[in-house]
This record gives sequence, C-alpha cells and structure tokens, in this order.
Amino acid sequence: MKLVKKGAEADVYLSSWNGKKAILKIRKEKTYRNSVLDKRIRKQRTIKESEIISQVKSFGVSTPLIYFLDVNKCSILMQYIDGKLVRDMNEKAIEKCCFEIGKVVGVLHKNGIMHGDLTTSNFILTKKQLVLIDFGLANRTEKPDDHAVDLRLFKEILNSAHANILKKSWDNFLKGYSKSVGEKYCKKIIKLVAVIESRGRYATVV
Amino acid sequence: MLCLGIESTAHTFSCAVIEKKQKRGKILSDIRRIYKPPEGQGIHPREASRHHIENSSSILSECLDESKIKINDLDMIAYAGGPGLGPCLRVGAVVARSLSSYYKIPIYPVNHAIGHLDLGKLLTGAKNPLVLLVSGGHTMLLAFVSGRWRVFGETLDITLGQLLDQFGRSLGFASPCGRKIEELATKSSKYISLPYTVKGNDVSFSGLLSATKNISSQGFDSACFSLQETAFAMIAEATERALSFTNKKELMIVGGVAANKRLSSMLKDVCRRQSSKFFVVPLNYAGDCGSQIAWTGLLESQVKKGASMKDTFVKQSWRLDTVDIDY
Repeated sequence: MKLVKKGAEADVYLSSWNGKKAILKIRKEKTYRNSVLDKRIRKQRTIKESEIISQVKSFGVSTPLIYFLDVNKCSILMQYIDGKLVRDMNEKAIEKCCFEIGKVVGVLHKNGIMHGDLTTSNFILTKKQLVLIDFGLANRTEKPDDHAVDLRLFKEILNSAHANILKKSWDNFLKGYSKSVGEKYCKKIIKLVAVIESRGRYATVV
Repeated sequence: MLCLGIESTAHTFSCAVIEKKQKRGKILSDIRRIYKPPEGQGIHPREASRHHIENSSSILSECLDESKIKINDLDMIAYAGGPGLGPCLRVGAVVARSLSSYYKIPIYPVNHAIGHLDLGKLLTGAKNPLVLLVSGGHTMLLAFVSGRWRVFGETLDITLGQLLDQFGRSLGFASPCGRKIEELATKSSKYISLPYTVKGNDVSFSGLLSATKNISSQGFDSACFSLQETAFAMIAEATERALSFTNKKELMIVGGVAANKRLSSMLKDVCRRQSSKFFVVPLNYAGDCGSQIAWTGLLESQVKKGASMKDTFVKQSWRLDTVDIDY
C-alpha cells in the first residue's frame, strides 16, 4: 500500500476494494498521547466520521462512500476521489470555489451537522463536483454557536493561508452560505463569529 | 549597532543590550527581575507596576555594567509597546522615553510577541518555521506569509499559561505555577478523563480548567498529570494539524511554557511523525526578557527611523498579526 498522506490525525493509504481504487484511512496510535486518552479519541472519531460522512449524503452533500470500517484498528476504507485539493488551486479558482464551499457548509448546518475542520485542504474539486472529506471532528449540533465556530475556522484559514484573496473569498463564501441557510440565519452566524473573535487574545477590546 | 531593550509587559522587568553586526546578534547582557504575587493570587497590575518602578533603575545600571557600555554608547532603545498590562507597559515606556529624550537616542516601540519570534529565530537558527508561541499571554500557531506573521491556529479563550496558572492558584500555589504543576505531574501516572477540545487548528481551554478544578479533590498529583496530558495533547494535535496543512519543515517553540519538558517531548514526537525539524528556544530565553525587545528593535531599525516622542505608544491589545514586517 502506498502512503498518500501522513496527516495530522491519520495516515492515508492508497488501497483497493473489489478492483476499485480506494483510500484507507488509519488513525494510528499516537505515542505522545496518554494511551487512555488516545484510544478514546481515535475510536470516537473513527465512528463519528464514518457515521456522519454517510449521513450527510442524504442532504445532497458529496462525500466519499464508506466501504469498510474497522473500529478496533480505527481504520476506514473509502472511495477514492479523483480531483484537486482546493488549497492547491490557483487563487482565482479558490476565490470562485468559495461560493460553492459556502453553499455546502450551509447545507450541513441547515441539517444540524458541523464539520469541525473546515480548511481548504478538506475540499476536493473533481470534474463534476465539490467533495467534502475528513469528518473526524464533525458533530451533530443545532447550536448556532457551533456553526459559527465552523465559519470562524474557515475565515482563519483564508486569513492565513490565502491572505491575498481573503476579502473576495470570504464574501463569496458568505454568499453561498446565505443561499443555503437564508439571509436571516447567515446574519446571525456572522454576528456570532464576531463574538468568538472578540473572545480571542488581544482582540480589540480596550 | 548597540540596542537597549526594555521589557515590562507583565510580571517581568528586564533590560538587555544586544550588539548587532550584519545579520548576527550578540547578547551582551540580559538582567531581569520577576514580580511574585502572594501564593494563590495572580498578577495585580498595580502591584506589578510598582515592582517594576522600584526595580527599574537598579536593573538598568546592572544591565549596562554587565555589558560594559555607557548609556551614550547606545545607538538605539527599544521598549515593549504591547500587548500586556497597561500599568506595567507604561513603566517600560517611561524609562525608554526618559533615556531617549535626555540622551538623544532613537526610540522604537516593539511588539512583545514578535520579539519572542525574532529572538527565537536568532537563537535557534530556524529559517522558515511554523511557530508555536505558548506563554501566559499567548497560545498561537504562526507562520510568516507575505509580510506578516499569520495565525494558523490559536486558543479561542484562555492561554495555556493561564490554564496552568489559574489551576495552580486554585490549589494555592504561587504564580507562575507551570514548574510546580510539572513537578507534581511526574509523581503520578493515573489518567482521569478530562474534556479534550480541538476545533480544527484551534483549541479551547476554559472547559478543561473547570473540569480539572473539579477533579483536584482526587489528588493533586493525578489532577496535574491529567491536566498536562490533556492540554498538551490538544496543543500537540493542533500543531500537527497546522504542520500538515502548511507543509512546513520546521517547528519552533517559544514562550514561557516552552520550558516544560513534557510538552517539548510531545512536540518532538509530532515533528518526527511529520518529518520536521524541531527547535526550542534555550530555556533562559524562553520567557519574557529584554533581549527579545532589543533584537526586534534592531531588526526594525534596518528599515525604519526611530519614533517621534508623540508616537511612543503603549497598547494593551496589540495583536501580532496586525503588524507589517518589512525587514
């Protein structure tokens, strides 16, 4: 098996399933983490990820298909997605793509799911559609606060990794988001994002 | 170039002299004194600033004596303009302004956090690192992108230093409590389950603080052990996420909590997994010191003239990701 990516959380290998290309994601033991804590986190996330990744399909969000799950080994075998990470696209394309990303995130929130790790490296653009991956930190939640945490993280990533195109990308994201959740809810979440930001260290409060 | 750096953002008052030749900096002296609040209490800004006022002149003369220079030899003075506690910041600024105006030496207000980063790079030799800044004032993951230090992850509420201090104080320890907690933690290996909150590259410690206070009745040792294991694992995971996202091949850790051995051993492991090089600031310069201010001042002086007196501000809330860096 070929190692595709040594991610922060899991090792990702290229594998196969019934003759088709597949991705094997294994949450290996982390030696630096206390073993009790480590086991708890890895197991919990593997289960959550496989559940939610399948659940969101029913709302029309494109995600990889789960083929096989091994809870004890904390591994998930899933569909291989052929496409490009949004993070690695050119700036114009990312800017444009943010509208679609916003729409997808909106659909998730409307259906009571937060992704928990909305970075540009968790969206793959294929020839046909935008696919969302990595649901390790996802959660079922209707709380507006949690939804705002999702948005804030995405904004932070734009502000750091894609600083040159922050404004346009963020605007596009919000347009897409608003399209899915409605203007009223979108405004509410934007306000909450500002509240979270103001809680940050040395935010302009004095 | 000879620069005097004055640090007074929180509990430390420090003066340092650095000599810069081309790209190299040499610390000639770095004298500090730390305000110690009574056991079980935090920094009282007024008391801390009083401590700074009372100690400022003796620290300054000690600093100059040790570096074997006279005030007139100085080419510039840098002071910490923020972020920090207002009353404390003002002491450093007043000392800097007085020297500057009396001896006609150019003056530079410097961002304290950026000082940590610049001094870290000078002392470790890291070239293009992802930086983990962990102290009483900061818990941030940073990388330098197009003219600014950008935040790739940070705490959404209190910092790692605050978490350790506030928990330590609830047990009646004297601030800063990091060392005491580290010591107690080594005496236990009983892990009590605590909330683990990682949100993407961000972390949140406030819930962990309350939960740890609640388990402290089950023994201080195991509470300290469980707190460290949980909090540091959160930091390690956020760091690993940011490393993986940015593809940086270097990790540098700076700030007061960098002195913790358990944290740095975890981060070393993270670096091994992500095949990145690991740099940690020498213990002596991990915490707040005048050198960090002097060195950033020297770097700034390459592209900027000294500030005029009316622009020698102090700013309590001065986020480092709002500072443009041209050097």
